[in-house]
Amino acid sequence: MAGQQLTLYMKITRNVEMRVADVHLSDVARMICTDQTVVNRLKTIRICKFHEGEKRKIVTILKIMELIQEVYPNLTISNEGEAEVVIEYIPRPDHVSALVFLKIAFVSLISFFGTAFTIMAFHNDIGITDVFSHLYTIVTGESTTGVTVVEISYSVGLTLGIIVFFNHIGSRRITKDPTPIEVEMRKYETDVNNTLVDTGDREGKIIDVE
Amino acid sequence: MWNSIGLAVCGFSFGMLAAGGVFTVLIAVGLLPRFAGKTHTANHIFLYEEMVVFGTITGCVLSIFQPELGLSGMSGQILLGLYGLFAGCFVGCLALAIAEMLNSIPIFARRISFRHGLGIAITTMALGKMTGSLVYFIGGLFHE
Repeated sequence: MAGQQLTLYMKITRNVEMRVADVHLSDVARMICTDQTVVNRLKTIRICKFHEGEKRKIVTILKIMELIQEVYPNLTISNEGEAEVVIEYIPRPDHVSALVFLKIAFVSLISFFGTAFTIMAFHNDIGITDVFSHLYTIVTGESTTGVTVVEISYSVGLTLGIIVFFNHIGSRRITKDPTPIEVEMRKYETDVNNTLVDTGDREGKIIDVE
Repeated sequence: MWNSIGLAVCGFSFGMLAAGGVFTVLIAVGLLPRFAGKTHTANHIFLYEEMVVFGTITGCVLSIFQPELGLSGMSGQILLGLYGLFAGCFVGCLALAIAEMLNSIPIFARRISFRHGLGIAITTMALGKMTGSLVYFIGGLFHE
């Protein structure tokens, strides 16, 4: 070790879900080093252990560096990733399908009836039937007989608008871009992780160096 | 003939723009990511988007064409019950999500240095919404 100065490049992730109680460095970080034995040795370092009832731990990069230095005091460490990692312990993955199915059904039903209600309320709010019948009279000079070409083309337009907006028909994407909800989903996850780290920091519940 | 084509073009573009407007708001408040995040079912987000699409189309057809479904028996009541329950959930979430997006809760909490009992505040808010809703419907406020 003593001869040449080795550098370890590591990248720790923002969020990991653990199935087992022991968290090793290989679970939270990817590493490269010119000496592969260093990486192999470091992968086996235990970072923390979940005890009964514990669900979440936040570990800082400083703590991880300290643990690495205990093994290799002269190693230069360069972190290319996050400053903290949020580790969540989920011993049994929820493949308990009935509950998951119920959750999915519940969210689907809310999405379906909720948006049906919102668009109906919106139409009611702007008095869409009046608007359309006035428009029909202005253009054709006749009074309407209920359903006209405007209503039909409006509905077609609305449907196409939604499909273009959400960027998929069925499970087929129209373009390669992520859909707006996928984008929001990732943003939301980032926000949740940042909040967990900030809250943990404020309450002093982060695993950090003394 | 030309009148009909003009009307069709108008209707079509109204529809496209209404879809854009309605969904920009829906996406901006980030309701669905929250549902998916809470239930840990983010990998089914396509299904949820699908339901949003079908829900909107259904609502559009119901309110524009006003078809008579003729479900007079129990099935109609059950469908209405489901509709009410889930639409209520959605609107409740939407209302608080919008309040949160406008940062009213954090600002109030900071102004009155409110640190504990956020859970109680949220519960009373929900109860307040329920009371308001019941007063509105039972008290007949919508008759003016």
